Amino acid sequence: MIAAGIDIGTQSAKVAILKDGEVLSRSLALCGFDPKEAAGQAFKEALKNAKLSFEKVEHITATGAGAAKAPYSHSTISMMGADAQAGAYFFSSARTVIDVGAEEARAVSCDENGNMLNFVLNSRCAAGAGTFIEAMARALEVELEELGPLSLKAEKASPINASCVIFSESDVVSLIHRQEPKPEIARAIYDAMADRISSMAHRLGIKPHIVLVGGVAKDVGFVTSLKRKLGTELLIPEDPVFAGSVGAALTASKRIR
Amino acid sequence: MATKFEGNVKAIPEMPPKEIEEIRSSMESVSRKVIAENIERMKKTWPNRPKTMQYFDEISNFFGQRLEDIRAQKEAGKKIVAYSCMFAPIELILAAGAIPVRIDSGWYDAAKLGDKIVPVEVCPVIRSAIGTQMVNLSPYLELSDAVIIPLTCDGRTKLSEILRDDRTVWTMCPPRIKDSPESRKLWVEEVKAVKKKIEDLTGTEITGKRLRSAIELTQKATKAIRRLQEIRKGNPVIMGRDAMLVNQTSMWDDLKKWMQKTEELCDELENRIEQKNWACSPDTPRVMVTGTPMIWPDNWKIPNLIEESNPQGVIVVDELCSGDRLLYDPVGVDEWTMSDMIDAVADRYTLASTCPCFTSEHGNEDRINWLLDRIKEYRVDGVIYYVLRGCILYAMEYARIKRILDRMNVPIYYLDTEYTREDVGQMKTRVEAFLEMLETRVALKPVN
Repeated sequence: MIAAGIDIGTQSAKVAILKDGEVLSRSLALCGFDPKEAAGQAFKEALKNAKLSFEKVEHITATGAGAAKAPYSHSTISMMGADAQAGAYFFSSARTVIDVGAEEARAVSCDENGNMLNFVLNSRCAAGAGTFIEAMARALEVELEELGPLSLKAEKASPINASCVIFSESDVVSLIHRQEPKPEIARAIYDAMADRISSMAHRLGIKPHIVLVGGVAKDVGFVTSLKRKLGTELLIPEDPVFAGSVGAALTASKRIR
Repeated sequence: MATKFEGNVKAIPEMPPKEIEEIRSSMESVSRKVIAENIERMKKTWPNRPKTMQYFDEISNFFGQRLEDIRAQKEAGKKIVAYSCMFAPIELILAAGAIPVRIDSGWYDAAKLGDKIVPVEVCPVIRSAIGTQMVNLSPYLELSDAVIIPLTCDGRTKLSEILRDDRTVWTMCPPRIKDSPESRKLWVEEVKAVKKKIEDLTGTEITGKRLRSAIELTQKATKAIRRLQEIRKGNPVIMGRDAMLVNQTSMWDDLKKWMQKTEELCDELENRIEQKNWACSPDTPRVMVTGTPMIWPDNWKIPNLIEESNPQGVIVVDELCSGDRLLYDPVGVDEWTMSDMIDAVADRYTLASTCPCFTSEHGNEDRINWLLDRIKEYRVDGVIYYVLRGCILYAMEYARIKRILDRMNVPIYYLDTEYTREDVGQMKTRVEAFLEMLETRVALKPVN
């Protein structure tokens, strides 16, 4: 039984192909100006890796902000629904899934079968999401990948405003002008973001275990700050960026039956 | 020495008449399009829509037959009394032989216009009303001889000043404490004062006989709307948006005709119940909507999303002052004396109301009980708590209601939005996920 999930986010399109509930292959393509094209490309790549032809796929479920850009899909599922499926699939003890993507963050509570029981989304602003980190790295003039490790060297944190990307950027600039050490500014950035995410998760009510997914789950700086803020361990799957597509593929498998 | 300003400065700056007319006519054509589109969308969701709905579709057109009717009656000498907020006692307007029309504004583009006068933090219903005033967009407001504005919130209080720059405005001061004897005294006096104003405008004395027949008319309207609500307690035989449209047209239609058509619709729906001719699958998650008013035509955004979503939801009941609350509460008269009738009219608008503008020793427990009763009676699977940004009263009541519903294991989702078409995508994400969750819960629910 072959099922596929396609997650078209604001920054990248992700595809996961499952055979009898096991991940066969996955692939990612950057959306750029053409998310439809990116999704098609990711799909072809995933099929190639799985050594499958398109006809072999019995059901395709799409998710993400650009779900409509995959007209060949058979059904759709909400991003929160896909997160719940994926969280419970990666870790059977998962009861809360936090997903931090490029432009949106969300928290979902789920049961052992991956049913979504409740969800919250961040307010309509990218201040609690990946784009925020990118903007701040630019302000600090460091590579995106360096910002996380840099923040771990901080001895203390200086608070910044994270209610809005633009305000935060001006806060960061004034920290730079005050000649605060870069690691401390880096940590301030992650702490501010973790603050937002944790208050969002608290609105939902946190039940262990917590799974962290989405592209930002790979950022060691953010993960460290969020763990500190929540005062608990976080379970992170091997490839957190594919959670949405795996969740969609799991949904697709269920819909074949 | 104190300085006293003697001039008359309006809040809205002068605009060239040509510019006003250009904006008005372009907004009117957008509005006609939105009205037609909304009706098409409702038909698409419910292809087997009863023929009787055509009547309400026609009335829903602000620039259509109903406008012509009102215009003709005005030419024949009838007075038009517009009102903002459901607290205006329509029984008194009807008793004086005048035509009541509610003019709360649902036009998105008008709200954008209102932004030029007041900050965006102000509730969009108010900003939109200011916008319609700027370019004379609301045909009913334009035809009105007076506007009643109950000062139920800060927005309406200041709106009354802006409208008064160009119109006859009668304000009414509702009490904030709902159930004290002092409050009741105040409100009864306010009702009497507005009665006098209506009499002066129309030159018609509101006699006991006239008031009684007006009260009996609204009582019949209540009966009709309660019949429709009773029907909605069962399997979905009417979509929520259609019921909302029926409710909403009562705000400007001729009540007698409206009642007759509502009863006709109910006859047809009752037939359909026997034939098990449902408007959507009986498994469709049953949604309640509560919060700030949703005013036709532009602010049909959330109902459209709920009933067009995949998975689909059906609105079985709402707690909106633009919806199921409108005509629900009857005027309960003990004895048909003038003073009893006035008291009873006054009570319908305060004691029976669940508006968050009130508080009491028990907070706004009336609203909470209203919600809990309806959740049970209408077998509600989930509640959308809808708040327009700037509406502090509804926003602040959410915290307690959320905790109560959590304890009762009833899912509730807080949706805050604006008078804009630009957030449809974000709203859709939220509505769809909520319905997906309700669908799962409905599927998991043990069959008893």
